[in-house]
Amino acid sequence: MLIPAIWIAALTYASELTLLSMGFTLTYLTAKIPNFAHGTYAGIGIYVSYTFSKILGFSPYWGFPFSFVIGGLISILIYFLVIGVLQRLGGGAIVLTISTLAIQIFLAGATNIYAFWLRAKYSTYASLFMLKDFDFKLGDFPGIFIVSMGLTVSCVILLHYMLTRTKIGVAMRATAEDPELASVLGININQVQVFSWFLTGGMASLAGSMIPLWFMSTPTTGAMMITPIMAGSLLGGFENVYGAVIGGLAVGVSEIMLTYWGSVILGAWVGEYRPLIPMIFLVIILLIEPRGLQGVWEKIIASDSGQSILKSLGLLKEEPVT
Amino acid sequence: MIQEIALGLLTSSVAVEGTSRLIVDIAMYFGLFVIVAMALNFQYGNAGIPNMGCAVQVIIGGFTVSAITTRLIFTLAGNAGVEILPWTSDYDWVYNSPVNVNIVNSWLSGKPLFCISMLLFTIAINLVLGAVIGWLISLPAIRLRATYLMIVLITMADASQIFGRNITWISGGTLGLFIPDIFKWYSGDRTIVMAIITLLIGLISFFIFRTMLNSPYGRLMRAIRENEVTVGSVGKNVTGIRRNILMFASGITAISGALIGFYFSYVVEANYQRALWTYWPWLMLILGGPGNNAGTFLGCALVTALRRIIIVNKWFLQEVFFFPIAYFEQILLGVLLIAVIIFRPNGIIPEKLLYIPGVNYRKLVDEEVVVDWRSASKSRGASSGISGIFRTLGGKKEEAGD
Repeated sequence: MLIPAIWIAALTYASELTLLSMGFTLTYLTAKIPNFAHGTYAGIGIYVSYTFSKILGFSPYWGFPFSFVIGGLISILIYFLVIGVLQRLGGGAIVLTISTLAIQIFLAGATNIYAFWLRAKYSTYASLFMLKDFDFKLGDFPGIFIVSMGLTVSCVILLHYMLTRTKIGVAMRATAEDPELASVLGININQVQVFSWFLTGGMASLAGSMIPLWFMSTPTTGAMMITPIMAGSLLGGFENVYGAVIGGLAVGVSEIMLTYWGSVILGAWVGEYRPLIPMIFLVIILLIEPRGLQGVWEKIIASDSGQSILKSLGLLKEEPVT
Repeated sequence: MIQEIALGLLTSSVAVEGTSRLIVDIAMYFGLFVIVAMALNFQYGNAGIPNMGCAVQVIIGGFTVSAITTRLIFTLAGNAGVEILPWTSDYDWVYNSPVNVNIVNSWLSGKPLFCISMLLFTIAINLVLGAVIGWLISLPAIRLRATYLMIVLITMADASQIFGRNITWISGGTLGLFIPDIFKWYSGDRTIVMAIITLLIGLISFFIFRTMLNSPYGRLMRAIRENEVTVGSVGKNVTGIRRNILMFASGITAISGALIGFYFSYVVEANYQRALWTYWPWLMLILGGPGNNAGTFLGCALVTALRRIIIVNKWFLQEVFFFPIAYFEQILLGVLLIAVIIFRPNGIIPEKLLYIPGVNYRKLVDEEVVVDWRSASKSRGASSGISGIFRTLGGKKEEAGD
């Protein structure tokens, strides 16, 4: 095999995490809150895949568009019922964050109940499963590896195109910068918010529906992924979608590879501490540079030696205005 | 009638059952959660620190009981000549735990003074270790935005459980560990004494918190909650004060973790889940009204009674649902939290004005109110949030932590 299986797992996981981190950052940009329910959307995607493959008998890949739409609709519903109401009432950042935690608890409970409903209705064991059997093979590679990488890359390109070239994307960026000024210029902030919540929820659910094709999934898998998502987003600077792409990839690859190398060198007990790796990332980033890679980049640009290095590499085209 | 029940409970020499059992259970859990929720009120309601890591602080209490107090009792019992099975290796520590605890319990039955000193020792150690862990969890994000602190604390609650699950010498890993019964000398049901002691500690910590809130330091805390930039500009160390508050409240919160270890005579990391020890206390705090100890008591009583009644009656409820009742609890918790935040942002009992001896505070506020209509807030949350008092005093106010 061209690439070892562990690297395939790491890259698949990292591309799923990148999609999730991008959505998390986009929510933070437009709504100014860390959405703790973001990982739980992935849990919804997992069960869309399960329903399509085990209950309806299709390939799980047919469920991806439905997963996107269902996740987006749930996200819009959350915006209309909770977040939008609280924003109108003037709740602060802390109150809004607590409300996303409440949504996370609610959605996690609902996912669990759905799993038990499947068990009661179709008598399948829906609480711990893996859908590797439903995957196809493309040459030497499992299909999900190609599909997840391709979907993530195309999502990044589409998002970049949307944010820079289309009207709604520019409106989203304007809303993220300054909502009041954007509304003065005639941008319907409410519409932009609804669109961004639909997009982030859909992307998260899409990423979630790819998880069971390679990884063992339980109803809490999605909720547990919130720490790596936040670590990836924080590594990228928390307020930069492109940073989140790099951050998500880095955290995803290092979570799996560090666990693997650790278990090879130190022994099998390292595997139990896998959830700690994103936490260590979080703590180290906050201790060293709370603004992540974006902050590091800005520091390099601001310093003289950094500028000379960038010039010699040919990366810096014009003098930055100080 | 209540006195008769109380007397009957105290003097009965058999294990309590039925409705009395439920009452003792609710009292115990009320005491535990009142300690946690009051410390949370101290941190969030009064100082504006959104501590989402109560579970870390509580788990430290549990780990203290299992890793330190139990070891100490075993060592002292061994020195006193009690023949206990080997317990020094990890394997013996877990698998000999029930037998050892049984042997030690019979030794403890004649030593009330020793037992009480062990309890006091545990509480003292808890205060110290809780403060240490409060300092540790404050390191990464105390000077940053409030939402960063929430993120770090939530993830740390999971980290502490992972350590408890995998390091055997702390609390026996996934199997858990038995704890010597330090109320063996009492002839009746030990849970009643435990509940009374817990309620007593809750009462003591209530008075400590109340004194602190009515002192100049309490006013400083509220000022930080309202506008940290202003407080920093008059020469107060905002970060240091925040860290001190987190450390102090951590120490108090850790006691409840130790008490629940003694109550069950058993410590396992699964007992200290994030949902139980962080989200439910937050619901109690927000339901009762942040920044207000009476509200915390009320919220605690309501939520604890609701939860215990659901748990005690779960076999009847289980026949109605096709899924485990725990998930129904999750749904209930989420819906209640959102409903309270939307419909009663101030809680059942809103925050009252500060008590400052010798100052007619209400008159001061009434005179100052609505100075400029442009700075008067437009929305409901801004005018009557948890911090309406200072906002009307100080005019326009930036969101704390942003």
